[in-house]
Amino acid sequence: MFTKILIANRGEIAVRIIRACREMGIASVAVYSEADRRALHVRLADEAVLIGPAAAGQSYLSIDRILTAARQTGALAIHPGYGFLSENAAFARAVQQAGLVFIGPPPEAIEAMGDKGRGRDRMQASGVPVVPGYQGPDDDQTLVKKAEEIGYPLLVKATAGGGGRGMRVVHAASDLVESIAAARREALHAFGNQRMILERYIPHARHIEFQILADNYGRVLHLCERECSVQRRHQKIIEEAPSPFLDSDLRERMGKAAVAAAQAVGYQNAGTIEFIVDADSREFYFLEMNTRLQVEHPVTELVTGLDIVQWQLRIASGEALLLAQDAIHGRGHAIECRLYAEDPANNFLPAAGPLLQFVEPKGPGVRVDSGFTSGDEITVHYDPLIAKLIVWAEDRPAAIQKMEAALRETILLGVTQNIQFLQDVLADPYFRSGDIYTTWVEDHFGDWQPPKCALPPEVLAAAALIQFQDPAADSQGAPAGSDPYNPWRVSSGFRMGEK
Amino acid sequence: MRYRFQSFEKVYEVDLSRQEDLLRAVVDGREHKLEMVDRQPGQLSLRFDGLPMTFYWAVKSGTIWITRGGCSYRLERPSPPAAGSRREPGEGETVRAPMPAQVRAVQVAAGEAVEKGQTLVLLEAMKMEIRIKSPASGHILRMLVANGQVVEKDQVLVEIGG
Repeated sequence: MFTKILIANRGEIAVRIIRACREMGIASVAVYSEADRRALHVRLADEAVLIGPAAAGQSYLSIDRILTAARQTGALAIHPGYGFLSENAAFARAVQQAGLVFIGPPPEAIEAMGDKGRGRDRMQASGVPVVPGYQGPDDDQTLVKKAEEIGYPLLVKATAGGGGRGMRVVHAASDLVESIAAARREALHAFGNQRMILERYIPHARHIEFQILADNYGRVLHLCERECSVQRRHQKIIEEAPSPFLDSDLRERMGKAAVAAAQAVGYQNAGTIEFIVDADSREFYFLEMNTRLQVEHPVTELVTGLDIVQWQLRIASGEALLLAQDAIHGRGHAIECRLYAEDPANNFLPAAGPLLQFVEPKGPGVRVDSGFTSGDEITVHYDPLIAKLIVWAEDRPAAIQKMEAALRETILLGVTQNIQFLQDVLADPYFRSGDIYTTWVEDHFGDWQPPKCALPPEVLAAAALIQFQDPAADSQGAPAGSDPYNPWRVSSGFRMGEK
Repeated sequence: MRYRFQSFEKVYEVDLSRQEDLLRAVVDGREHKLEMVDRQPGQLSLRFDGLPMTFYWAVKSGTIWITRGGCSYRLERPSPPAAGSRREPGEGETVRAPMPAQVRAVQVAAGEAVEKGQTLVLLEAMKMEIRIKSPASGHILRMLVANGQVVEKDQVLVEIGG
């Protein structure tokens, strides 16, 4: 096992990896930008190296600076987390060339899965079902002809795409050429590549993915599925395991397809095979592979009892997977809610600001993966994810109840966040019955507004009391004693009722 | 002592008074009895008409954030500045940032004529790009931001005159 690794990431996932290192007796090296000087991952790591300014391009995305930091600190391996350089084959290769271990798949597997068109080809060749569609020469004329064969509605999709960019749903032949042009513009701007593929559009699609673990000796296992159909702007909000949609037959067939997909590209380490399942026909299709650790990996950890991050480290250091596929079962039900700094009432526009108070929920079956503590700043430079709330209970209804209770207990003040929105989604009868699909949030919550309830008198009275005791109030509850002007030290307030 | 708060354009008043160790709050014409139980930084526990309750709170720039029992409230000082664009008497129209963001591109300069709907400034926050468009046709009176600058929500970006 490695004695020291570097974590080329920030936020909750860097913290998650540092925790795994601590448990395993591995020294951890954090890297950070100027905007993250006092970030939680910097405070928790054994060593921390400043790698550049706030802009990710000059810090968390700088291969040179990260490799220099690894050399300086003597780290033997690099964990990329998710996002940033995690699916960058050039980075994986550069890490290897520097004589270090990349904690992830071989660069060739990243490349094979990184291009949507080529990924489709490889999958088809290995018998993994893909959405009916077309990839090949992509001049407008050919695409128009192929679109007729596939039928409408269909999806125009950039081969280099992701996160919904460079993608258009086309409902009629008359809109096709214009939609191709728009998707090309967007893709060229976002990815520097305007190649397009066509796919049949599935209106009621469920996003169901399988977690994969593969060792360096050809053994590939799946850790069952995650249901990720609750999304906004193609970004997941709530994930759960198991999927309320799958029966054991479909689960088994999809699991086998997922293993075959990973084997087809010589995959190693942890990865995720994403499928689209047509909710009407129950057909499933390969969507793409995420060649890295997934944000929502904790729900799988809670139901399978396996620590995916620790397995990443063990596999990367050469350990063989000795588990039997038959021995891996999901137990009970786990749900994850992503707490985002964003405004659900205003197109989910990202918010930023100081996290004035953050109190995490507690209790049996409640896990919080967070990259921030009270007093930290949510900056405009990075992802708006504040924390992930993950719960485990015996079954789905109990897990929903536990999540609702955990969200009620979560205190997150100072920045606009989505807790109330998450509560409303969890309370929705369609969600409760498991009847959800990937555009369900847009269809049902498109005009969501927070309840504008009247302020209860006790809250107003408490607010007045706070102002009374702290007239110049502009504090974030700094610990009493550290600040001579702290209102709690001033004797003009009330004495505490001790009787 | 009287305190005024605003939430969702509604203004609330609270009269707070103290007699010895006893606190009274009059809210909407009704009197309530308050007893302090405990206070920690950002946390206040009291008995409200005899019922125990705990509030978590924080204050920033005059806004009180307060949570109780899973509900969060944001109380402002009465009549804060409105978001978006608005006309001030004798002045041009101001265009504000809809969210905290970094300025990616400034597409017009002071003195330039602009059409309604024309993109003035490109903002980016957390991988999202937002085009700030002109709410009216006219001239740029003042361009108040530059490339790369980080702006707060509601910060004035541009002033436009007729």
